[in-house]
Parts: sequence; structure tokens; C-alpha cells
Amino acid sequence: MGLHIVKRDNCPLWKKCCFYFVSVFAALLIGAIILLAIGVDPIAYYTRMFTMGTIGNRIAYKTFMNYLADFVPLFLTSVALSLAFKMRFWNIGGEGQFIIGSIATALVAIKLGGVLPSWLVLILMCLAAMIAAGVYGVIVAALKVRFGTNETLLTLMLNYVALYILIFLMETKQDWNFFLDPEVPRPVPVSFRDLVSFPGIPLGEKFELNICVVLAVLIGLIIYVYLRYTKQGYEINVVGDSAGTAHYAGMKVSRIVLRTVFLSACLIGLAAAFKVGTTGILSTAITDDVGWTGIIVAWLSQLNTAAILFVSALISLLHFGSTIAAATFSQVDSSFANMLQGLILFLVLAADFFIRFRVVRTRKGGSNNG
Amino acid sequence: MSNYAIEMRDICKSFGPIKANQNINLNLRQGEILSLLGENGSGKTTLMNMLSGIYKPDVGSIFVDGKEVSIDSPEDSKRLGIGMVHQHFKLVDVFSAADNIWMGKDKNGFILKKSRYNEIQEIIEKFGFSLDPQKPVYEMSVSEKQTLEIIKVLYYGAKVIILDEPTAVLTVQEIEKLFAVLRKMKEDGHSIIIITHKLNEVMEISDRVAILRKGEYITTVDTKQTNEQELTEWMVGHKVDLNIDRPIIQKTSPLLEVRDLTIRNDAGALAIDGVNFYIRGGEILGVAGIAGCGQKELCEAIAGLRPIEKGQMIHKGDNIVGLSPKAILEKGISMSFIPEDRLGMGLAPSMSITDNMILKNYADTKGPFVDRKQGRVAAEEVIRQLEVVTPSTETPVRRLSGGNVQKILLGREIKADPNVIITAYPVRGLDINSSYTIYNILNKQKASGVGVLFVGEDLDVMIALCDKIMVLCHGQLMGVVHAHKTSKEELGLMMTGALNLTDKYEDKPAGIAKDTLFEADGEGKEA
Repeated sequence: MGLHIVKRDNCPLWKKCCFYFVSVFAALLIGAIILLAIGVDPIAYYTRMFTMGTIGNRIAYKTFMNYLADFVPLFLTSVALSLAFKMRFWNIGGEGQFIIGSIATALVAIKLGGVLPSWLVLILMCLAAMIAAGVYGVIVAALKVRFGTNETLLTLMLNYVALYILIFLMETKQDWNFFLDPEVPRPVPVSFRDLVSFPGIPLGEKFELNICVVLAVLIGLIIYVYLRYTKQGYEINVVGDSAGTAHYAGMKVSRIVLRTVFLSACLIGLAAAFKVGTTGILSTAITDDVGWTGIIVAWLSQLNTAAILFVSALISLLHFGSTIAAATFSQVDSSFANMLQGLILFLVLAADFFIRFRVVRTRKGGSNNG
Repeated sequence: MSNYAIEMRDICKSFGPIKANQNINLNLRQGEILSLLGENGSGKTTLMNMLSGIYKPDVGSIFVDGKEVSIDSPEDSKRLGIGMVHQHFKLVDVFSAADNIWMGKDKNGFILKKSRYNEIQEIIEKFGFSLDPQKPVYEMSVSEKQTLEIIKVLYYGAKVIILDEPTAVLTVQEIEKLFAVLRKMKEDGHSIIIITHKLNEVMEISDRVAILRKGEYITTVDTKQTNEQELTEWMVGHKVDLNIDRPIIQKTSPLLEVRDLTIRNDAGALAIDGVNFYIRGGEILGVAGIAGCGQKELCEAIAGLRPIEKGQMIHKGDNIVGLSPKAILEKGISMSFIPEDRLGMGLAPSMSITDNMILKNYADTKGPFVDRKQGRVAAEEVIRQLEVVTPSTETPVRRLSGGNVQKILLGREIKADPNVIITAYPVRGLDINSSYTIYNILNKQKASGVGVLFVGEDLDVMIALCDKIMVLCHGQLMGVVHAHKTSKEELGLMMTGALNLTDKYEDKPAGIAKDTLFEADGEGKEA
């Protein structure tokens, strides 16, 4: 009696959801075992983590606003990456594009904040970030189109170039360096939060819904429609599926690649503008690793824009919740979330196997009259 | 006769809901050549893959030399003396012939010994192959690679040899050579199963024929007691007219003329070298040649996908050299190329039939959005007219079987209402029924005054279907012959370069029309 693997023809949606739910649950279960081993009560820990400590908290609305501020850049970056991935352009450079976008945002905010009206500065911040990040991304696309270079390697390397530019700016105490606070003798980044910051829409008594959240979800919706129903979205799909076919159908493949990568990097720049425009300060840890996490989110969602909304909400919850839980449970570092995230990715991929295949027992016999 | 070399009893195998094999009984006698005949999707390759250890049967048992065995892996299969030559060769390009064989053997130890060349030379001589054991694979022709695959299974000690469509890539002369080798192997006591579509080859080489239809076993007959007509009926399930029509149509003046065309391939070598030809409306011009002698580059150049080194292409009096693929499409030149993997060019495999229908005209509508409604209507029409088997218009193309994929591709090209159709290998790997559907489509187009360039591989078909055939050898034109006046042998000689007919008539060089529109750039188009 052996087991063998049989291909499934079609897996209904509810079954798929079940598989994914089970895999996320299993990841949490493994996490619970680890927590038990450290001597932490997993139920208490998970409760604290998933409620983000909002229960019995007087400033729970504040916590939720902070959570949303974490969620926006991740969601937007994941959407942007999925755009490039759809075309099979492996943009691993989310980090770098995000950093370049952040620097551009800070530059505009510091130089023009207080000079021009606030709404205009905010728009200019977004535009500057988008163009800077877009150009940073499109360089790689241009090199690929022109010389056939490998985009994975180049975007990856440009991440470090951007990171070290940022570190240079954050650590060089010189008169010209307006990114640092002139009042402090040590290299400390200057805060421009009071000069310019994204406004919130007041909902209820104290809760303010940051405009970035609304914009991000709106952009997600637009990208969903863009990929599904527009000619440009159709072109992206064809190029991703078979570049030879796209060429054969008379599409200008190089132009489509350049356009899409620019758009993808632009959106990552916008994510950076939202982030920097909300925190009001630049730092070497400004990306919060969204360029990397975004790749995971995009794949977990199978490049589906609607799914990205849920997955990025979940992953942000893990990260944000674990930081808060770490305050109560001193034994568990906030990087516990990274481990959980890895487990979830691993198990969801495993679930994918069961969605595509069935394991059945080998039967013997049949009629023996041949 | 007591023990069969191989006996398969009540074999069933399904992939999801698809029953690829249902209660199949097959036996192979010691020292015979058995043809396995069946249409596409009838389960031939699946059945053979169960012998070579790639699949395991869901139900049923396999006996080798009368003993029941369980073949769990390719290693098991090798141990039992079963060797399979796959359609796609599994060779390492940079290794020599001998090293390709050598590396798969378990008990060779760590050191490459000089004696390996001699050992393999012995086998080569024993069966009458011609191959240099020291020749690296990347320098080999297709037929040499196939020879190497066969030597490989012989070297591993296979007593039962399975060949999956071995003749598809060979010229007439090479097929004869292969058959000679197969007969020698048979004399030596090997048992052979050969999978093929081609009935004439079945009749020529095999002792018995086993027929599958839609995953079911139909019968096994002695080749001597049957004929092509009867085999076809078993295979298809009903009577089929095996004649290909060649309607005679009033020809118009040349639609597409190519003069002195020179193209380089991806590696920078000459792919097409100074070739002249022309296509008239209402005729099918065949292109014959050994695989890889420039057909692909020629098709790509006409469609505007490949830069032209030298030469001219005139379509209805207008020069089309240097135009974009889009502009050439708009002139009414449609190109469909079916590559070996069938999906590489012309279709987006993960996208739906509807999405593939609008591939060439999605940009013609106004506004930023794609008009899928029109694509769905087109898809429904093609599905109905060409009898495509598919669950719906939204099924991804890669889920369809090969024949249906090709119908979709050709259907889309014809819907665009072209005046020149370039089609390469449109029946590649298709079964008889689907092939005849495709021939009918092409004939209908021809009847409506379209000029067809048909790049093919089966010479019998080309002689029956085409009006004229031009032959290429290493990118050079070997001549253009009338299909009803030529023979397979003549074409075969031209394909290998042994016969050059370009200077046959001194007054009329091959490939140049008398009523050329060539110098007529400014004279305006004809109706």
C-alpha cells in the first residue's frame, strides 16, 4: 500500500481559504510551542499581540492609528511590487526605491515646509518621491531592455547603494547637511513634523483616519482595475506570460517594461512619501523592511490586489502587535513576528501543494480477466 | 511464445478527472517491433511513461518476462531492461557522445577512462550506426542526437526499447537509416515499441500494431493482415477520407515577393542566405527543409520580428522591409508559428481563450479599457467553427490539448482576414482528425484568394496539399518544384543539399516570378 500524488483539477474557493486558514493556524500553533518552551503563556501573548494591547487601554484609538500608519507603506509597496512581478520583472529593489523616495520627501519637506502652503508641500513631497523612486527603478529596467542585464541582481545591489547614501546623510555632521538637526551637536535627523504632515479625517471623538489610508486603499482599487480591465494592464499580463508572444503581437515590449517598472517604483516612492510625511522624520530604519516584506506579501497574495489588502493587514498586525506585546513579555523580542511571518509563508506554500495536488492511496487489483 | 517481453494488464491511470488510460492490455512479444498507434490524447505516451517509471498506474499490473514487477522509478525501469527514447532529447550539450552515455552509468567509478570511446564504438559498429563517440552534442544534427539516445539505451543493456515519435524530426533518408537500425536490433533479439502517427511507417516497420483510442484499448493486429484505411478507422472510430484535396484556384499575381533575402540567426550565423521566392494569391507554397535550416528565421523576418541583413520583401508592390510587426499585421500578413513546445510564440498560455483572441487587435478600440466582449464573441465563433473542445471561453489556453491550442491560434489568424498567411508546423504533433481540419482551413483560405506559405515537416502531406514546394538547405534555396511533379526522394535529396535545382531552367531562375511587381513601387496597389 503506497501513497501517490494526483493532480487536482480545480479547487473551490472555500476549500482554498480553508487550506490557507489551517496553514496560518498551524504557524501560530508552532509559535505557541516555542512560546511555551520559553515559558510564556501563548494565549496571553497572542491575545496581547492580536488586540495590539487595545483592550483596557485608554488611548486605544492612538494604537490603531499607529497600526494604520504601519499598514499603509506595506500595502502600497506590495501592490507596487505585484505590478512588476505580474510582468515577471523581479523587482527586489523595493527597499532602495523606498529609501530614495524617503530622501526626496524629506528634502522637499525641509526646504519648502513653512515656505509654501501645507497642501502644496504635501503634493510636492509625493511628486518628488514618486519621480525620484521611479527614476531609480527605471534605470534597472532601461539596462535590462538595452543590454539584457539581470534585474534581480541590479535592484538588489541598488538597495545597498540607496541604504548607504541614507546612512551617509544621517551620520555626516556638516554645515551643508540640512537633513540633520542644526541645534544638536551630534548627528540627529531633523524633525519636520510641525512644518508639514498628512492631515487626518476626524471620525468620532478622538479617532482620526489619516488621509494616507484612504489614498492607499483608493490606489489599490485603481491598480486592481488597471491590471484587470485596461489595455496597459492587458499588456503587462501578456508580457509576463510570454514576452515572445507580446513581441509577435506587435507590442512594444521595451516600452511596456519601462512604463510598468516606472509605475511600480513610483508607487513605492509614494509609499515612502506617506511614511515620511506621517512620521515627520528621516532615519536609517525608515523602510521598516517593507521592500522585503512586500515581496512576501505579494507572493502570499499570489499577486492578487484584493488579497494583498488582507495579507498586508495581517502581516502588519503581526509586526505591530509583537512590538507591543514585547513591552509586556520581556522574554519575547519583537522579532518573534519575523519568525511567525516566515512560518506562515512556509506553511502557505505547503498549503499550495495541497491545493494543486491530492495525495491518494495506491489501489491494487481490478478485474483480472485480460 | 509463452512469455511476453512485456505484458500490461488492465492498466488504468487518471489525472484528476481525466482518464488517460482505461483498462489497457498490451503485450509485446520477444523480438518484435510493435507500433503503438493512436490520436493525440489517446494515452500512448502516458502508457509508455508507466513502463519507463515516470508514472505509476492507478490500477493494473505489469509483467516483464512473465514475472510481475512494480516499476516505481526510472532506475527500476532501467534495471528491468526497459529503455525509452523520448521525443525531447535528454542530452548534455557540451559533453561528447561517449560522455553523455558514460555519465548515466552507475558502476563507472570516479575516473574517466580512455577506453570509454572504444566501448561505445563497439556498440555503434554492432548495430550499424554512424556516429563519432568523441563528437560533442552541440555539433550534432537532430538525427545524430537521436542515434545517440538509442545507443544510450542499448549501452545500458535495454532489451525492450520504446521510441516516442522518433521519425517526426527526420528526413526521408534518415528515416530509412533508422528503420535499418531498428531491424538489426530486432534480429539481435531486442523488442521494440514505436509510437507514431504516420501510417505508412507503421505498415513498413512493424510486425504488429496496437491501437488506442481516447484512453481505451481497441485492438492489436498483425500488420500483414491490415491496411491503412482499417487502422485509421480503429484509431479515429469512424471512416475517414485519407486524401488531402488540392483544389485548383485561379491564381493572381504575386502577393508577397522576397528577393535576395539574407538573415542572421540569434547566434549571428547566416540563417537565410540570399533566398528568392514569391507567393501568389490562391496558392499554397510549401517550405521543406531539415529542422533548423532557417524556417523559423524566415517566418520571423516576414512578420517583422527579426532584422534583415540584406534583401527585399515586397507585399502588393510595397516594400515591407523595416516595418514594425504591427504595420506588417495591418497590411494583412499573418504569421503563425507552432514551435516545438507549441505555446512559445503566438499565444499567452496562462491567459484565457478570450484574452488570446484579442491579442492582435486589443489596441484598436477607443479608450483605455480592453473590450473583452468582442473577444468573447470571436472566441465563441472560433470554438464553434473549428470544433474546439474547451469547458468555456475563459479557460486558460495551456489547459487545452495540443490540437485545440493550434486551432485557437490558426482561428485567430484567419479571423483577422489576412491576405498572406505564413504558417509553420500547423499540424505539429496533431492527430489525423485535427490535421485534416487544419488542412481544410488552409484550403478554404486558399480558395478565397489568400496566399499561404506552409512550412511543414511531413513530405507526404506537403506533396498532397501544396501547389509548389521550395526547399531550403542550410539557409540556401535548393529550388522551387511543382508538388504534383516531384517525389519524396527528390525533395529529400534537395533537403540534404545533394540536389540543387535553382539553375534548372536558364531563362527562369527559381523563386523569381515572371510577372513580378518588383520594380513597381510607385504604381499603386492592385485590387
